[in-house]
Amino acid sequence: MTFDETIEPYREFARKAFAREATYRFEIFTNLGSLVLRVYLLRQLWNALYRQNAAPAGIPLHAMITYATVALLMSLILEIDGTRAIREKVREGTIATDLMKPIVLPLYFFSDGIGQTVFHALLIAPGLALALLFVHVDVPSPAAFLAFALSFAAGYAVNFFLNFLMNVVAFWTLETFAIQLMVRWASDLLGGQILPLAFFPGILGKIVENLPFAAIYSTPLRIYIGDLPPSAWPAAIAAQLGWLALFGVVSTFVWRAAERRVVAQGG
Amino acid sequence: MPIIETRDLRKVFRSVKRSPGALGALRTLFTREHVDRVAVEGVTMSLDAGELVGYIGPNGAGKSTTIKMMTGILTPTSGEIRVAGIVPHEDRRRNARNIGVVFGQRSQLYWDLPLVESFELLRAIYNVPRERYRANLAEFTEILEMGDFMSTPVRQLSLGQRMRGDFAAAMMHDPRIVYLDEPTIGLDVLAKEAIRTFVARINAERGTTFILTTHDLADVERLCRRIVLIDTGRIIYDGTVEAIKEQYGTHRTLVVELCDDEPGFAIEGAEIESRVGTVARLRFDRKEVKADQLIRRVTERYCVNDVSIEEPELESIIRQIYVEGYTDPNVTVAPQALLPS
Repeated sequence: MTFDETIEPYREFARKAFAREATYRFEIFTNLGSLVLRVYLLRQLWNALYRQNAAPAGIPLHAMITYATVALLMSLILEIDGTRAIREKVREGTIATDLMKPIVLPLYFFSDGIGQTVFHALLIAPGLALALLFVHVDVPSPAAFLAFALSFAAGYAVNFFLNFLMNVVAFWTLETFAIQLMVRWASDLLGGQILPLAFFPGILGKIVENLPFAAIYSTPLRIYIGDLPPSAWPAAIAAQLGWLALFGVVSTFVWRAAERRVVAQGG
Repeated sequence: MPIIETRDLRKVFRSVKRSPGALGALRTLFTREHVDRVAVEGVTMSLDAGELVGYIGPNGAGKSTTIKMMTGILTPTSGEIRVAGIVPHEDRRRNARNIGVVFGQRSQLYWDLPLVESFELLRAIYNVPRERYRANLAEFTEILEMGDFMSTPVRQLSLGQRMRGDFAAAMMHDPRIVYLDEPTIGLDVLAKEAIRTFVARINAERGTTFILTTHDLADVERLCRRIVLIDTGRIIYDGTVEAIKEQYGTHRTLVVELCDDEPGFAIEGAEIESRVGTVARLRFDRKEVKADQLIRRVTERYCVNDVSIEEPELESIIRQIYVEGYTDPNVTVAPQALLPS
């Protein structure tokens, strides 16, 4: 089989996911509206918080507002979960039909997520333009932006595996709601989406910075706002790739076990 | 050479033993007691390319389990299985390229997308060359009359339309073997007929092998020459539809319409099954009494407007076998003996 034939199904999955997302037009407009509102509220919130203290945790106000705004835009992409379908497929038993197809299922979920991501990424451009009417966001140097993009890509992949592992649990439990809530909370709070990890005090901050969740939001954002100097970029991105490799290996084993479970029990 | 071969195929499902009640549920968490349930017990069968076989049995007989092992999503506990030369559970993805599946109860179409986009996706999944895809699509659209709803989202299709879509979807990559699991369930007569015609035509023109599991024995009578009967995991009959009718269904029904209401109507050699007004239904065994003999007896004694004889339907024969078990030993045919060599 040629390379083109091998990737043909996955390219098509991504394209279909894109088309599917585009059919929900109403949702697109409400999302844009709520984005502008959230950006505005974040600005007000941080302005109020900074009135007491000029630079808590060593981050000046403009950098903080940039951080919060970029984190919000990132979350539009990172909250997409192509692996959510696993849960529904396992519960409804349609996973059996999917296993009868000549495809690698985890790759199917990944491509589906990519298709959705591309669509929502295109929406960020108008969202950002609108948001900029209300807040000022710092623009980093080209080098920092490139490092940010790389780091964001690595974080995206870590996020995929995290979602994947969380949803694959459905093969054993059928229901994943509790885990879902916990992981979502952990990745938002401990990952640095809600506020920079520098706000965590003392030893807690050290722990949080070394958890895999930091690879999702915190690392790219710290590169973006200049909290990490260029000399620290390679190590930070290497740490992300380390988590990525670990999650990739664990996911492979867990998926094999999940498949074995279907194959032994019959779905 | 057979395209599907199984030998002593066996599948045992093991599950954790559950104790009843709240305390029992707690105990279930900690004990490792198991219950084994045998779903398939020594199934040996052989299918030639191009056959269209009805795989019949009551609910829970092991039909779906067998099919799942043939598709490779279930590993047999023991025994051998080969589908087009491949051991399905060892090489599931390669096996998947040779097979197509239609489940009456669940669709493989993409719910949110127009029907035609599901077909395009399947084209990509199986790497079907574009010319081949276009030819198949045109042919299936014509036979299954899908032109009117090709760009309708699947969730808005009627069951009949959706099933036609599912059939086309299963055939888009020219599979050599197609498994049909209750494909006509819940369909109206027109949709059923459209689908039966489609299957018969694909089988005749392309030599595709079909395994049909269904409770609608009219499907089987219309399509299959051979049936395999399974009960409690074992094959109890493997042979032609005619043979099972010939040897098992020896009962006939003589329907007599009398000129007058005859209160004491009775004929020796047949028992009255029902009487509605002047119409009597008489059940007889054609081994004991010949039909013409019986008709003569009736017409000699009574004034008769009309007579007709009803052949037993496959359904009534199978129902009888489900209830009474398969008893006639001289009908049991070794599975291999029936295959054309």
